[in-house]
Amino acid sequence: MGHLETRYEYGGDEFIFVQLSEAMSLEANFKGMAITRQLKGRELEGILDICPSNASYMVRFDPDVLSPDLLMKELQQIEHAVEELDDIVITSRLVDVPVYFEDPWTHEALMRFRDRHQAPDSTDLEYSAKINGYSSKEAFIEAMTSAPFLVSMIGFVPGLPWCFQMVRREKQIEVPKYVRPRTYTPERAFGFGGAFSVIYPVQGAGGYQLFGIAPAPIYQKEQTLADFQDSIVFPKQGDIFRYRSITRDEYDQVRAQVEDGSFVYHKKEISFTPSEVLADPEAFAEMALGRLYHD
Amino acid sequence: MISVIKPGLQTTVQDKGRIGFYEIGMPPSGAMDKYAFTVANLLVGNHPNAAVLEITYLGPVLQFGKRMRISLAGGQIPPRINGQPVPMWTTLEVREGDELSFDFVQLGARVYLAVEGGIDVPLVMNSRSTYTLIGIGGYEGRALAAGDRLQLADMHEKEVAVGTQIDPRLIPAYSRSHEIRVVMGLCSYRLTDESKQTFLNTEWTVTPEANRTGYRHRGERLQFVEREQPFGAGSNPSNVTDLGYPIGSIQVPDGVEPIVLLHDAVTGGGYATIATVISADLDRMAQIKTNEKVRFVPVTLADALEARREVQARLSQVASAI
Amino acid sequence: MGEKKAILAPLPGIFYRRPGQDLPEYVQEGDVVKAGDTIGLIEVMKNFYEVKAEEDGIVAEFVVDNEGMVDAGQEIATLK
Repeated sequence: MGHLETRYEYGGDEFIFVQLSEAMSLEANFKGMAITRQLKGRELEGILDICPSNASYMVRFDPDVLSPDLLMKELQQIEHAVEELDDIVITSRLVDVPVYFEDPWTHEALMRFRDRHQAPDSTDLEYSAKINGYSSKEAFIEAMTSAPFLVSMIGFVPGLPWCFQMVRREKQIEVPKYVRPRTYTPERAFGFGGAFSVIYPVQGAGGYQLFGIAPAPIYQKEQTLADFQDSIVFPKQGDIFRYRSITRDEYDQVRAQVEDGSFVYHKKEISFTPSEVLADPEAFAEMALGRLYHD
Repeated sequence: MISVIKPGLQTTVQDKGRIGFYEIGMPPSGAMDKYAFTVANLLVGNHPNAAVLEITYLGPVLQFGKRMRISLAGGQIPPRINGQPVPMWTTLEVREGDELSFDFVQLGARVYLAVEGGIDVPLVMNSRSTYTLIGIGGYEGRALAAGDRLQLADMHEKEVAVGTQIDPRLIPAYSRSHEIRVVMGLCSYRLTDESKQTFLNTEWTVTPEANRTGYRHRGERLQFVEREQPFGAGSNPSNVTDLGYPIGSIQVPDGVEPIVLLHDAVTGGGYATIATVISADLDRMAQIKTNEKVRFVPVTLADALEARREVQARLSQVASAI
Repeated sequence: MGEKKAILAPLPGIFYRRPGQDLPEYVQEGDVVKAGDTIGLIEVMKNFYEVKAEEDGIVAEFVVDNEGMVDAGQEIATLK
C-alpha cells in the first residue's frame, strides 16, 4: 500500500477526516474499510460516528470524552496495523440488484433536462456508451452488469450507495455529471457520475447520468419489508452489488412484491481478502456471481 | 396541549439531534443553537434533551390548552402573551386559552420555545428532531402548519419558580456582523495560497437561501490549484473523490459562494471542503440572518476546545443558578 | 388624513412585486388595497412568503424595488 499518501486533518473540534488517496481505487477503499472496521471493533468511548467513504474516512467524536490527540494517534496506529491487507478478511453481502434499463420514467426525466446535458441530441445511455468506447448501448449495459460493484460509500442523503465496479482500472467506466444538475430525478433511478454508479433513494435533484430504474427500494422509512427491519436503509458499505438487467415484466413483478410486502433481496454472505480481488478482479467477479446464483 | 393558530415561517420540533447515523447518510438535525435550546429547557426544569420548538425569522401564533410554564431563549423575536410583551430568558407561566405571538425579528434569527415537559412527538431513531428532507421526526416529519395540535411529554424534572431569569451576562450579544471561527484544513490544499487569504480576508454576505441545510455566502471568487484531476474526482477543479462532509464544513463549488453545511445538510459528496466552523460557533451561525455579514477567523484546535469549554462553563453557571 | 401608514416586511429576504416573472404586479401605486390583500412576496430559505396589507388604504409609494433585499421591519410601501 506504499504509494497511497495519507492526510490526517481535524474537521473542527468534533471530526477527524482522513484522506487515504486523492484518486479512487479499490485499494484505497479496502484500506479505509479495514481501518474503520478495526476502529469500530475497539469500541472507544466518545466516538459518535465512523463514516467510511470512497478513498477516505471520517470520525465524529466527543472531545469532552475522547481527546482529539489520542484519537489521532489511535487512527495512525490502526493505519500502521492494516498495512498488510493480505491479513484482512472482509465479510459482506453479495446482492442481486435488478435494474430496468431505458425505462419510461427516467427517460421522461432525462428528456426534460436535455438543455442541461453535454449531448442534448442523444440519451444519457447512448452518450455514456459512446464516450466509453462501446459500440452499442447493449454492449455498455453488458459491461455494467457482467462485473459486480463494491458499495464504496453511503451518504449524501440517507441510504444513497456510491458503487465502484470491481474491474481493472482500464475497464472502469467514467462519465461526467450533467453540465447543470436536474431539479428532478425519480425515486430509485439508477445513475452514473464520475467513476460511481448510484441508486437515488428518494426523488430529488441530481446530476448523474440516468440509465434506468431499480424496482426494489434501497430506503424504506415505514420499515415493512424484511430487508428493512433493522434499518431504514438497505445498502451497507462493503456490500457487493450485481446489477442485473431486467425486462418490464420482471420490473412489474418486483414492484408488485414490494407493494404487497413480500419482496426480499436475493443475497449471500461472502468473505474475501482485498488482495485476492486486487490480484485478479475477473476471477473474483466470476467466483462471486457463481456464489450468488449457483451455490 | 398547544394549538397552532398560525405556523410562522418555519417552526419545527427539535431536540439535541439524531446522533450516530451519519454513516448511513443521516444528518443529525436538532436545534441549530444548542446554547439557547439548553437554556430554554433549563428555565422550565426539563430534561436536557426535551423537545422544543425552533422558530425562525417569523414567529407562530400558539394557543395553550392548559396552565403551564414556558420559556423563550435565542434571537430577539420579541414575544407577547395575549398581546402584552413578555421577557425572554425567563420562566413564564401561561394559562388555558392564552395566546403567544411574536413581533418582527430584530437581532438574531432563531428563538426556542420550551414548554414544561417538552413537546411529545414519537422518537425516530432516538430523536424527536424534524428532518424535513425525507419527512421523519418532529411533528409528522414537517414544519408546523395551522391547525396542528401539539401534545406535551413527561420530561419535566425540576420545579422552577415563575419569574426566574438568567444572569444578563449569560445572554449572548447578537449583532448584524459576525466573526465565525474556523479550523482550516480538510482539503484546503486544493485552494491556492492567495485564495486561502481571500477566503479569510473577505467580508461575506449571507444569501437568502440560508437555512437549516446550510448557509451560502456571496463575496469573492476563489481559485483552486491547477492539476490533472485524479481518477474518480470529477472534472471541476473544486471536485474531489466523493468524501464525507463534517458538520460545519465549508465547501466552495466551482470557487463561487462558500457554503457552510449545517445540521440538515448532505453528509458527503464531491466538493473539496476547506475549513470547519468550530462547535462553539455553530450556535452563533444559527443566529445569522440572510444579508448579514460574516468573516471567517482561523483558530487552532486548542482554541476551538477552549471556546467549547467556555460555552460549557456558561451553561453550568446558568444551570446552577436555576 | 395627514398620517401616513406603511406596509412593513415581516421577515428578511428578497422582495418581489409580482407572483411570477411573466405575471403582472400585485398592486400599482395609486391602487386601493384592503387589509389582507397581498402586495408582494418575500423569498427566504427557498420559500416564498406573501406580504399582506394590514389595513385599508391607497398605495402611495413603493419604497423597495422589485427584487430588492429587505430586512424584517423595513418599510416596503406607504399607504395614504
